[in-house]
Amino acid sequence: MENLPILAIMTLFMGAFLNSLLGRRSRKVGNTVVFIAMALALGMMLALIRPVFFEGRTICYWMGGWAPDAGWAYGIGLEVDALSLFFGLIVTIAVMVSGVYSFTYMARDDSQVNFYTLFLMLSGAVLGLVLSGDLFNVYVMVEIMTFSAVALTAFRNDYDGALEGAFKYLVVGSIGSTSLLVGTILVYANLHTLNMAQIAQLAPSHMNATMVTAFAFLFVGFATKAFLFPFQPLAADAHAVAPASISLMISGVLTKCGVYGIIRLTYDLFQNISESTVSYLVTGFGMVTMFICVTMAFNQHNFKRLLAFHSISQVGYVITAVGLGTPLGLSAGLYHAINHTLFKGLLFLVAGAVQHETGSLDLDDLGGLSKNMPRTTALFLIGAASISGLPPFNGFASKWMIYQALFEKAGSTGNFFYILACVVALLTSVLTLASFIKVTQSVFFGQRRAKYADVKECPAAMRLPMWILAIFCVVLGLFPEQFGNWFLRPAAGAALNAEAYAAQMLGGSTAAAGAAEYTLIGAWQPIVWLLLLVLVCCAMTIVAVSGRRSEPEPLAEPDVEDEQVLPENAKYEPFFSGEESHYSQVGGSDLFWGFKENLKKYFSFWHDWHSGIVNDYALYGVLCLAAVLCYCAVFL
Amino acid sequence: MSVLTILGKVLIFPGLLFTLLAALWLAGLDRKLVARMQRRVGPPLLQPWYDYLKCCGKETIIPRKANRTVFLAAPALGLASIFVTAMLIPVGGVSIFSGSADLVVILYLLTFASVMLIIGSAASGSPFAGVGLSREMVAMISYELPFVLVMLAVGRAAGDGFCLAGVTFSLADLCAWQSANGPMIFRWSLLPAAIAMLFIIPCEVGQQPFDIDEAETEICEGVLAEYSGRPLGQFKMMHVIKMYVMSSLFCAMFLHIETGFLLADVVIHLVLCTLVCFVSMSLPHAITARFKVEQIFRFYWTTVTALAAVSLILVWCGV
Repeated sequence: MENLPILAIMTLFMGAFLNSLLGRRSRKVGNTVVFIAMALALGMMLALIRPVFFEGRTICYWMGGWAPDAGWAYGIGLEVDALSLFFGLIVTIAVMVSGVYSFTYMARDDSQVNFYTLFLMLSGAVLGLVLSGDLFNVYVMVEIMTFSAVALTAFRNDYDGALEGAFKYLVVGSIGSTSLLVGTILVYANLHTLNMAQIAQLAPSHMNATMVTAFAFLFVGFATKAFLFPFQPLAADAHAVAPASISLMISGVLTKCGVYGIIRLTYDLFQNISESTVSYLVTGFGMVTMFICVTMAFNQHNFKRLLAFHSISQVGYVITAVGLGTPLGLSAGLYHAINHTLFKGLLFLVAGAVQHETGSLDLDDLGGLSKNMPRTTALFLIGAASISGLPPFNGFASKWMIYQALFEKAGSTGNFFYILACVVALLTSVLTLASFIKVTQSVFFGQRRAKYADVKECPAAMRLPMWILAIFCVVLGLFPEQFGNWFLRPAAGAALNAEAYAAQMLGGSTAAAGAAEYTLIGAWQPIVWLLLLVLVCCAMTIVAVSGRRSEPEPLAEPDVEDEQVLPENAKYEPFFSGEESHYSQVGGSDLFWGFKENLKKYFSFWHDWHSGIVNDYALYGVLCLAAVLCYCAVFL
Repeated sequence: MSVLTILGKVLIFPGLLFTLLAALWLAGLDRKLVARMQRRVGPPLLQPWYDYLKCCGKETIIPRKANRTVFLAAPALGLASIFVTAMLIPVGGVSIFSGSADLVVILYLLTFASVMLIIGSAASGSPFAGVGLSREMVAMISYELPFVLVMLAVGRAAGDGFCLAGVTFSLADLCAWQSANGPMIFRWSLLPAAIAMLFIIPCEVGQQPFDIDEAETEICEGVLAEYSGRPLGQFKMMHVIKMYVMSSLFCAMFLHIETGFLLADVVIHLVLCTLVCFVSMSLPHAITARFKVEQIFRFYWTTVTALAAVSLILVWCGV
């Protein structure tokens, strides 16, 4: 049992090496190796569920048997408590889905052996990060993760902007990694230990100016990895060009590492989330990220770029909830984190399927694909409904918990800031919905261009991973209570109980962390509503059927000529009488014209802000670091 | 509670049948009143019902470019969700379901109904519907912000010192608070929120000066351009029931009066709904022309949001 975490990490790394050794000749052998490695890692994580979540144990492992001596931890350790395992599960499930999808999706690419080697390196690094009990190892894993992600982003380097996106990611990502390293060094200089459990024990009583600086550096480092504002342009550039399965990894897994880092940092290592200043910092970051990214998504014309901004916006939700520092807030954040991986992964895979079949991701170009790809459309609608927070999908359940956590915090502190956060969160939800309607309309419904008349449904092997994610989306939305009891409460409890975290690892005591206690203000019982909706639907169908005279039939098959009536580039031309859309007075070609027209200044400001120049982005990163340093220096 | 009681509540009072009758009454009266204000005779009171029946009798034409399943399922789902919304709102103190966060659920269900309208029209594949749905979406963004602020203000006013978190979203709590302290609207700090809510109602319903998504004269009924027959009837019915749901929601939030006698309460509720419907929908309909898209957005995000925000801040400061 104690060996399972390290074995899981090693399996993935070993898989990477074996794949590059054996997979060069035959892709079948290589894929088998990759599949076995992923399945083993997932299996080991699943095997840990019972002891960690249900029995409340914490799995500690000291590499080479270097157990702590006289209360000082010298060796490298792995500590798997419920929080780590929660993220470990997110990681391994996402890796599994992404890998299986890649087998078909990447089949046409060359040098696949490199792809899977990098892919498994990335997976192993991320898993190592969340299971590690050692701050320096976290940094090492972040480095491996960032570099393999950069290489994978540029994997299809014949794409326009692939190298550019990867380069930006590399440069600004390095700022984050450096910041992490500096933070780690400062902590080590001050506390003479790198073991996270021991830091958790010592840090609160050794807070001084250096430690505050270390906190700021570490926070910005993890914020970079989660692509919080002002690092979101990186994610957008990377997602737009990366293969879809890698987009899933970047949005579903890499950002989660940032989230995990921030939770560990503020709840366990420094234990300062209960201070209102830290809470403002974290929640403020989340709020700003959430709102700016969702509005930026309105401007996008590339399917995956749009999804990228939404992805970051949803991470903003998670961070907002995490910043509250309450059991309910943390649980809501964790819930949204896993939901985000599920629905965002699903949407990226759908985008990948569309790209695979049509070769395009241009929202202005695609259209009317629901006739060609009905199953993909259904999957997309599930994903879109989940991310927009429509009941009864999982996005609703977790956003709902986030709102409750925000009211609760606002009520208990009497602070208007959290009410503001709540308003921003609700507004963001509506904007997300609006934005996904745009995607639905531009890709799957609406006018179809003649060149897409022969597009086929994507292969079943690609749909299978998507269905798995979609089913999870529905199940997690339907059973929030059970999911909360089994997974969220123990995971949140582990994060909230820093003493147990330290004691378990250092062998002081074996007291279990216990589950977090929270009560939902209003228990959302989706099953009741679902039943009701079904009931009413049935009732209405009966009414409708009994009152119907003739079976509604679609008209006869269209003539070929009829399909050609619209010119090749027609989507809204009927309104422009053939004029270019920007000469026209009708703002019809832009679905959000009324919205953008009024907020012209806001949109043009952010449009210019996202200059696409890597110097600017690096500057924003450094400025952000400076701002956080100043904030921490003044208020902590 | 036995199954029969629940069934009776869902199907008869205050569920489907009552909702339907009340909604038809409001919609019919609205058309009559608007007509009278414009010096027309106006249709008979039951005209909305006749419209629905007529739609049901007509042939349903599905456009070639449409996605059949979505095109037909969207109206039914939209209508179902709006019926479910109606079940959450207490009538004379009786509601079928009372959770502790009705308001947020209502917000989402109303959004769901609008989304069904949008998805259905998107599935029709018509460019007119495309423009219509973009307008509907902008309208949705416009009213949602002040709507949330109004909810928070009202929730705080009733929940302060009353429940754990200091904010309540339960309509049952709101009604209980109003029974004890008098209707919410008489609290002066909430007056701006009530006015804001009166503005939100017609936009949410899509009533005349705010009906940019249909705008017959510009974009051929926009979102409904391709609909005919039964699905069109369902969307029309959804519109009618939305009128009642929104007026009823206003009454539950701001104007709850309880006498103790169910029948009297129901009558009072209906009278108040009619009043709200007249002030917020019929009157603007009769005297104003349709707004432009960008005007609606500006109006809601400045004037209406400011009204709601003033209330929220006042209530939060304990006034």
